[in-house]
Amino acid sequence: MLRMTRMSTVLSIFILFLHTTFGESGCTSADGDGTFGDDEPDNFDIDCFSQLEFKDSYSSLTCNFTELPPHNTNYTLAVCTKEDSSYLCFNMEKQEDVYFLQFTDILSNKDICVEYEIKRRACRSLIVTDIVKPEVPFDINITYQKEANEYLIHYSTPHSRKKYLKDKLIHQIAYRQEESTWKTIKSPYLQVKLLGKNLEADALYEVKVRSQPNGDYFKGIWSEWSTSKSFRTTGEHSMESYSSMFVIILSIPGFILSVVMIVLILTFWESRIKPVVWPNLPDHKITLERLCKRPKNNFDISFNPESFGYVFIHEVDGIQAKAEQENFLQPPPTPETDIPPKFRSGSDLKRSPARIDKNSLNLSVSYGGIWPAEALHGLFGCSQSTAADVCSSGTYEVCHSSRVPLCDNGFHLPSAPPLDPPGQPGPQPQNGNVVPPNSELKSPSDEEAYVTMSSFYKNQ
Amino acid sequence: MTAGPPPLPATPPPRTMSHAFFRSIFRVLPLLLVLSPVNSSSCTMGNKTTEIRVKYENILSHDIEELVNMSAEYRDRCCKNKRHEHNKVFFCNDTQEIGSLQSMACNMLRFFNKQKINKEFRRKAALVSCGTLQVLQCKCERHKKEKVCTQVNAPNNEDTETVEQPKKKCNQEFCELKENISSLRSCWNKFEKIISR
Repeated sequence: MLRMTRMSTVLSIFILFLHTTFGESGCTSADGDGTFGDDEPDNFDIDCFSQLEFKDSYSSLTCNFTELPPHNTNYTLAVCTKEDSSYLCFNMEKQEDVYFLQFTDILSNKDICVEYEIKRRACRSLIVTDIVKPEVPFDINITYQKEANEYLIHYSTPHSRKKYLKDKLIHQIAYRQEESTWKTIKSPYLQVKLLGKNLEADALYEVKVRSQPNGDYFKGIWSEWSTSKSFRTTGEHSMESYSSMFVIILSIPGFILSVVMIVLILTFWESRIKPVVWPNLPDHKITLERLCKRPKNNFDISFNPESFGYVFIHEVDGIQAKAEQENFLQPPPTPETDIPPKFRSGSDLKRSPARIDKNSLNLSVSYGGIWPAEALHGLFGCSQSTAADVCSSGTYEVCHSSRVPLCDNGFHLPSAPPLDPPGQPGPQPQNGNVVPPNSELKSPSDEEAYVTMSSFYKNQ
Repeated sequence: MTAGPPPLPATPPPRTMSHAFFRSIFRVLPLLLVLSPVNSSSCTMGNKTTEIRVKYENILSHDIEELVNMSAEYRDRCCKNKRHEHNKVFFCNDTQEIGSLQSMACNMLRFFNKQKINKEFRRKAALVSCGTLQVLQCKCERHKKEKVCTQVNAPNNEDTETVEQPKKKCNQEFCELKENISSLRSCWNKFEKIISR
């Protein structure tokens, strides 16, 4: 009794163990689907691609053999899916050389199985989202944008109206010029631009497009090429090329001219350009020479008494100025001489010691006469403290005016020089010591003598 | 006189033996509950959040959006005016989003055979339910998933029938399905935000 009990217990556990191990599979085959597919190695190759949303919500799978097994038997391709406790397989429809199947579930992992004999099956795993082949693009349009000189190529794809591959494709645009080599451009967008400057003018071009999943989640292969679209480039490119040539032709002489200008500027900068652009400070000597008339020849301006050797200088005792009224009533007896009036302001002076008649200081002095002491002191910078002889109280007598000796060599001056207007007394010197002329006696000339700043500078 | 070994008991009668046999068998029966495959509704993709997210974002979300748009086209005034008391309400519980999605998806499968609802609409709803269960690797009780999803995902199952016109009659089942779809969509949005962090 006990033995039977034990035996029954062991038997029930063994049966239960077997049930647990094989119960869910539902079969006892190695593949779990009733076939013995792994008994022989699969020596054939299959290429498959999927097309999502092929028709409404259905996707499709297309496969073909790339390498057939040696023995010629009928083959059957099936797509199998493991659903919980079941393994569902669906045979693919043979269409000429390819096998085709449409389905809805793209989330689950599938197996592609080849059945070549009875219950002989070889399977491989298949991920539908990794072998996606998009649909062919269509409706290629080429538009020329004149302002930008660009060709806008726009195309469409059926996936723009679908769910899964919308904005998840990358497009390849190929173009060429009349049987030449193809050039390609890749873009994730539905339009690209071709620059007109990169294309031949007035030439015929051909364009085609294809698509591929971008690889973020969906992977796959290129779609088929779309139908080609041709377009002809405009001839305005030649005008632009001519204009560019014209610009180049003009730019060369312009460059040469600029180089020449630079050389000339550098050459004549110091000599001619800079004095005009940045003149030096004017020299007073030159300025005064330009302002004033310069004696033509033999002009000797100097305060050196030896220079005035030819000038008769005599001492004058006092100021012999007369009232203007007397001069007006009694015109000067001496004839008029051509003495310019400007000598009133600054004519040659010779200092000679003389006495001042203070009573006549307020009266003006005529040329050839006597200057007031204050005026002459101011002219020579004299002050009361100055002890120089120059500044001693004395009068100064103009003995030379317009190179006309106003002082006679015989120690007499003309009584009234004709320079002054009527009413002004002429010089009437009474006494005077005449400085004898020196060895450097110069003959008087009609040229005027004037003081220049350079003479001042030299005397100092 | 010495005592001998105790006599062996007599052979039990066959009736008693059978009783013992069956009793031993029945003791093992509880083991069935332990060793037999678990037919629970638990999902097995709980830890693979990355795979769940990419599948949802690239495939399932588009299907749900299409279904929501379809439900908006098939408007039924009954669904707006009154709320059916017998409608099962589904909540997307915190930290139990997968379980909530499983419940919603399994519940939606029962509408696949409701003839009062537009066939294309309930087929799309079944596809969304099967897709949800596939992504989460979940099952439903009473093998409901296998029964419906196998039929829905069967290849070459083209719908040759013409599209039925939406029912003008107040359709409670349609309203339930619409509400179920809305709950499923909301719960997926919530779960997707969680796993995208």
